Amino acid sequence: MKISELVKKTGLKAINKSEDKTIEGVYISDMASDIITNAKANMLLITLQTHKTLIAAANLIDVAAIVFVKGKKPGNDVIDLATKVGIALYYTEDDTWTLASKLTRLGIQ
Amino acid sequence: MATCNHRWEMIDVLYGYLVVEGCPRCGGRTSFFSTEAVAPIDEYREGDHFWIYLGSSQAVKFNLKCAKCNKEVRLDDLMGLMMSTCDRPQCEVANIAKSAGKGTSVYVALCADSTHSSGKCISEKGIDALNQYFNQNIKTPGKKILVVPCSKCCDIDVCEGIVITDVGLTDIY
Repeated sequence: MKISELVKKTGLKAINKSEDKTIEGVYISDMASDIITNAKANMLLITLQTHKTLIAAANLIDVAAIVFVKGKKPGNDVIDLATKVGIALYYTEDDTWTLASKLTRLGIQ
Repeated sequence: MATCNHRWEMIDVLYGYLVVEGCPRCGGRTSFFSTEAVAPIDEYREGDHFWIYLGSSQAVKFNLKCAKCNKEVRLDDLMGLMMSTCDRPQCEVANIAKSAGKGTSVYVALCADSTHSSGKCISEKGIDALNQYFNQNIKTPGKKILVVPCSKCCDIDVCEGIVITDVGLTDIY
């Protein structure tokens, strides 16, 4: 599913502008060490963490997009870095469980 | 003899702590990986060095194995990876990033001894395997990861970058 379609169906709010990639899975994590060993390319990363380290980890793995849950938004330096490396950033007021449930109902795994 | 077009997988994945120690006598730094439940805090003498604890962070270590030919590359000398954001003209890493151009992200493979007094850094085969591993999985057209050894940093103390460890994650913006 394209990110743009996912955004329409889940109400995600865009933080930066980026390419409309195809999401090939979801990974939920708040730790950079976990992301670099377990996340895969073109995944949607769901996280609470807004630290720049996550962008460095997500970029290494070629994550397609990151969604910050519970209304969290990163600082401008994090946004700039993500935009520079082509990672789309979104946020939602939903918590992790609610968002994951929405994605599961849409058939994304 | 046919050479294998390696398809690397992570093996021996270990979660633990990257512990950094410093020598106030020479200013050198060393690091090691600990799998203990709590990061060890020690002070000890080793030759001319007086090592003291500087800090620790949760990190991960791994080795690589080719799924096709079973070749293994051990990364015992790799302490961490740092996404380079350095733009200092005198830094070789910064110049490599500039030459590599848009679409390429440079990551520095960090070894245990920031002084490189032994003349050693991450092995060449380790660097090659890391480059192959991270690039084999990329799906974004035009995107490339370039891993370089930390011996190419102008000065590890000032070379700017984002070390991939789990520390400071509770900073409030």
